Amino acid sequence: MIKVVDVHKSYTKENETIKGVSFEVREGQIFGLLGPNGAGKTTLMQMIATLMKPTSGQILIDGLSADKNLLDIHRKIGFLTNEIKLDPMSTPNNLFEFFAELYDIPADELRDRRDLSFARFGITPFADKRINELSTGMKQKISIAISLIHNPPVIIFDEPTNGLDILTSKQVTDYLKELKEQGHAIILSTHIFSVAEELCDEIAILVDGRIAAQGTVEQLVAQAQAENFEKAFFKIYVENHVE
Amino acid sequence: MSTRRGIKTIIGSFFRKRGQMGAEASNATFFASVFFVAALAGFAISFILWWFPYHLFSDEVYNIVVVNSPESFTRFNEEMQAEFDEMSEDYGDRYDYFSNWENMIDFEYIYVGYGWTEFIYKDTDALYDFVTFGKWMRENDAYLTVVFPKDFDEQIRLRQEGKTDAKPQILTYYRTNSMEYSQMRDGFVEEYLDYYQSTIRENYGLKITSVDDCEIRDDPIPTVDSGYGIKAFTETMSRTFVPILLFVILLYASMSIGTNVIAGQKERGTFTGILLTPLPRYAIIIGYLGGVVLKTLIPAFFIATISALLVQQFSLGAFLAIYLYIFVLAVFISAVTILISVINDTVVSAQTAFLPVFLILVAVCVTCIQSVAEREDFYMYLPVHGQFYGIGDVLTGNINVPGLIVSSLATLLLSALITFVTVKLLHSERYTVSIDTVDAKEVRRYREGGKSSVLEMFNKATDNFSYFITELFYPLIVLSFYQFLAMIPVVVSYMRKPEYSSFIQDLQNVGSVTDIFNKTFEIFGIFFKDPLFLGMMTLGYILIIITYFIHAGRVWKIKGIKNKIGACGYPLTSGKHIAKNYGLGLIFGFLMMTATVMVMRLTGQLTFGGFNLSASGMGAFIFNLFMWFPQGASEELMFRGYMIPAFNKRYKVAVGVAVSSILFSAFHSLNPGFTPLASINLVLIAVLFALIYLLTGDIWMTSAMHTAWNLTQGNIYGLQVSGNLASNTVFKIIYDANADPSITGGAFGPEGGLATTIVTSVCMVIVITLLVIKSRKARK
Repeated sequence: MIKVVDVHKSYTKENETIKGVSFEVREGQIFGLLGPNGAGKTTLMQMIATLMKPTSGQILIDGLSADKNLLDIHRKIGFLTNEIKLDPMSTPNNLFEFFAELYDIPADELRDRRDLSFARFGITPFADKRINELSTGMKQKISIAISLIHNPPVIIFDEPTNGLDILTSKQVTDYLKELKEQGHAIILSTHIFSVAEELCDEIAILVDGRIAAQGTVEQLVAQAQAENFEKAFFKIYVENHVE
Repeated sequence: MSTRRGIKTIIGSFFRKRGQMGAEASNATFFASVFFVAALAGFAISFILWWFPYHLFSDEVYNIVVVNSPESFTRFNEEMQAEFDEMSEDYGDRYDYFSNWENMIDFEYIYVGYGWTEFIYKDTDALYDFVTFGKWMRENDAYLTVVFPKDFDEQIRLRQEGKTDAKPQILTYYRTNSMEYSQMRDGFVEEYLDYYQSTIRENYGLKITSVDDCEIRDDPIPTVDSGYGIKAFTETMSRTFVPILLFVILLYASMSIGTNVIAGQKERGTFTGILLTPLPRYAIIIGYLGGVVLKTLIPAFFIATISALLVQQFSLGAFLAIYLYIFVLAVFISAVTILISVINDTVVSAQTAFLPVFLILVAVCVTCIQSVAEREDFYMYLPVHGQFYGIGDVLTGNINVPGLIVSSLATLLLSALITFVTVKLLHSERYTVSIDTVDAKEVRRYREGGKSSVLEMFNKATDNFSYFITELFYPLIVLSFYQFLAMIPVVVSYMRKPEYSSFIQDLQNVGSVTDIFNKTFEIFGIFFKDPLFLGMMTLGYILIIITYFIHAGRVWKIKGIKNKIGACGYPLTSGKHIAKNYGLGLIFGFLMMTATVMVMRLTGQLTFGGFNLSASGMGAFIFNLFMWFPQGASEELMFRGYMIPAFNKRYKVAVGVAVSSILFSAFHSLNPGFTPLASINLVLIAVLFALIYLLTGDIWMTSAMHTAWNLTQGNIYGLQVSGNLASNTVFKIIYDANADPSITGGAFGPEGGLATTIVTSVCMVIVITLLVIKSRKARK
C-alpha cells in the first residue's frame, strides 16, 4: 500500500536529512517508526503525506506518486501530527462539516459519519464548544476524527499519544488496532516503547536519516541480542549513531 | 463538482460566526460599519439640527442690485423702506440668538430678508452683461439683479396709450449657489414686483393691471456654470474624497482579512490541514480570494451606495458602474493581499509587507487628484487610475463606458496574473511547510546562516522601521479619522450656506498639491468660525483621547480602565495632585503666552486696541473656549503621554523625546504661514513639554499648559494659533505697521516668531535646572 524506495531528502547541499530509506507497508499492517529527535521521522512522514518532495527516490501510495496524482493521494491518506492545529475559534461540529465538504463527502452521509465518530471518542457533548475551551486530550481526539474524516486506506500518525493521559492514550491505541483490523495501512511514529511493542507489526529504527534496523519486535530484540525491546533500541542507536 | 463545493465551503467559512476567519473578518467589517453609521449619523445630525441658527454665523445676502431703475421703481422702494424698517424691528436683533430665539427659531428665507434688503442702483446699457452683474452682486452682497430697460416708464406709457404692443422686458439674474436664492427671486417677482406694478398704476396713473403686462425673464447668473455652488462642491468631493475613502476602506479591510487567511492560518498551524484535502491549490486560492473579496466589498458597497445617493446619482447605470469599479478594485487588492499572505508565515509579517502596498496605492490616489482637464485619457484605461477616475466620473454623472470596460478587464487580467503566481508559490515547499519541528528549526537556522547574518540585520532594520512607521502613523490615522467624522455635519451644513460661493468657485482652478493645501487652510479658516465645527471637533478630540486609552491598553496589555488612563500619562491616583498640576499648568500657560506678548509689546511690535468681544460671536467664542481643553489634552496624549513611553519601552527616553518633538513640529507644518523658525519653535515647545512630562511624571500639567497657551493666544489676545485665527477674542491686538515678522511670526502667529523662542528658551533653562536638582536629590 505504501512503498518507499531509496528516498533521500536534503534541505541544504552539504547536509542530507534522509539518506536513502526504503520500506513497504501492507494493508492491515501497523508500521512503526522509532528514532530520537532529529533522526528524520517527521521529515519522512511529511514526505509520505506529500507535504514535501523527496530530493531523490520514490514514494508510492497505492501505486500512485505525488508528482502525478497529488489529489488522489490526498483522498487516500489521513495525516495526523501535533503541528496541524484546529482553528481555536471554531467548534468540532463546524470543523467536521468544513473538512467533510472539502473532502467532498456527500451531505447525507456527513451527519451519520460525524455522529458515529464523535460518539466513539466522546466528543458529542463538546460538539458546539469552541476548540480553545477544550482539553488537550479532547483536541487530539477531534484531530484524529477529522484526519480520518474520509476513511482513508492509508493512515500516517505522528506521535498520536504524545501528551495524552493513560485513559485517552488507551482509547487511541484501541482505535488504531481496530483500524488495522479493518485493513488500513498505518504508519506510526512514537517515542513510547510500550505503544510500539503493543501495536506495531513491524518497526524501523531511524538513526541519522537511515534505517538502522527493521523487523518485528522479536526480530529486533534477537538481532541486538538484548534483554528487551528498550535495551535493543539503545544498543542499535549507539551502534549506528555517528557523532 | 467537488472543487466547486470546496471553493464554496472556503468562502462560506468567512461568514461563519464561530471560526477564526469569520471573527477576524468581522473586525474589519465592524470598523467600516462604525465609519458608515457615523457618516450617516453626521448626515442626519445636520437635519435634526434644522433649528440650529446657521444664519447667525454666516453672511447670507439679501440685497438687490437694480439696473437702470425707472424713477417709479426708485420711488416705490423708498416708500417701502419704512415697512422694511418696521419688519426688521419686529424681528429683533438677528445676531442675538439668545435673547431673540423665539423669532430666530422660526427663521425662513424670504426675499426681503426680515426687512434687511437694501437696493443698490446701477446703470448700464449692456442689459445682458451677466459678468458685470455677477460682480456687482458679489461686491454688494446681493442675491438678485433686476434689469430694467432704460426707458421703462416711457415704454409702459406707450403701451397703455396703445402705441405699441411690445411688452417691456424686465430681466432678473440671481445667484445659483443656494437653492434659497431662486425661491427668493420667485417671491420677489410674484409679490414685490406685482405690488410695485399695481401701486404705480394707482399712484402714477399708469394702467398696468398685472405683472403680465411686463415680460419678466428669469436668468440664473451664468458667470460660472458647472463649477458653481453645491455642484462644484459635490464634484470636488466625488472626485477626490470619495474615491480615496473607498480605496482606504478596501485596502484596510483587505489587509486585515487577507493577511489573516493564509499567513494567519500558517501561524496558527491550521493551514496544513487544508493543504492535505483533495482540493486543488488553485481552488484553495480562489476560495480565499472569493471570501476576502466579498468581505471587503461589504463596507465599500455601503459607502459607495451612500456616496452615490448623497450626490444624487440615482440612475441604475451609475450604480452598476460604481459597483463594478469597486468590485474590480476589491479583486485586485485582495489578490495582492493573498499573494503577500502566501509569502509570509505570520499575520504581523504579512501586514508589515502589506504596508508599502498600502502606502503606494494611497500615493497613487493622491497623484490622481488633479483637475479633470489635466487628466490624460489613457489613465482611464489603466488599473487603479482607471478605477479612481472612474468612481469620480460616475459620481459626477459621467460614465466612461470604454474606460470602464478596458480598465476593468486590464485590472482583472492583472489580478489573474497575480493569482496565478500565488497558486504557483503554493506548490512550493518554502511557502507551505511551516511545521516547526526540531528539523525544520535547525534547517531554518542553517538557511539563515548563523546569528549576525545579513538577513538578520535586514530583519532588524525592517522591524525598527515598521515600529517607527506604526507609532508615527498611528496619531495621523486617528487624528484624520476623527477629524473626518467631525467634518461631515459641518460640511453638510456648509453646503447649504451661500457665503462660500466664491470659495467653491475657486475650487475649479485647483491644479496642484499646493493649491489643495491652500484651499484646505482656507476652508478651515471658514470652519473655525462655525460653532458646529468647533463642537464637533471638541467631540472628535474627546474620542481621540478615548481611542488612545483603548489602544495603549491593548498594545501594552494593561487591564482596568484606570490603569490604562494612568499608563497614558494621566494617573488618577491623587485628586490633589491633579488639581495642583492642572491649575499650575493653566497659570504657567497663560503666563508664558502673556510673556511672549509682552516681549512683542516691549519691542514695539504691537499695541493693544481695547476690548473686542461682541455679542454676535459669543456662541463661537464659547465653543472655541471649550474646544481648547480636549484639544490640548489629546495632543499631549498623542505626542507625550503615549509616544514617549512607547519609544522608551524599546529605545531610550531621548529617542522618544526627539521623535515626538519632531513629529509634533511636523504635524503643525501643514498649517498656513509656516516658517522654518516656526518649526524650530514648535520643536522647542515640544521638548519643553516633554521635559515637564519627565519632571512631573505625567501630562496633567502639560495638558493644562497646552490648553492655556492656545486659549490665551487665540481667544484672549486674538493672535493666530499655529496659523489659525479665532473669530472672537477678548482683546484686540494691532500689529505695528513696521512689525518684524521674524519676531511676531507673521501669519503663523507668535509660535513662528523670535518672541516665542526667547520665552520658551528661558522656560527650558528653568525646567532643566529643576530636572538636574531632582536627579541630584534622587541620587542622594
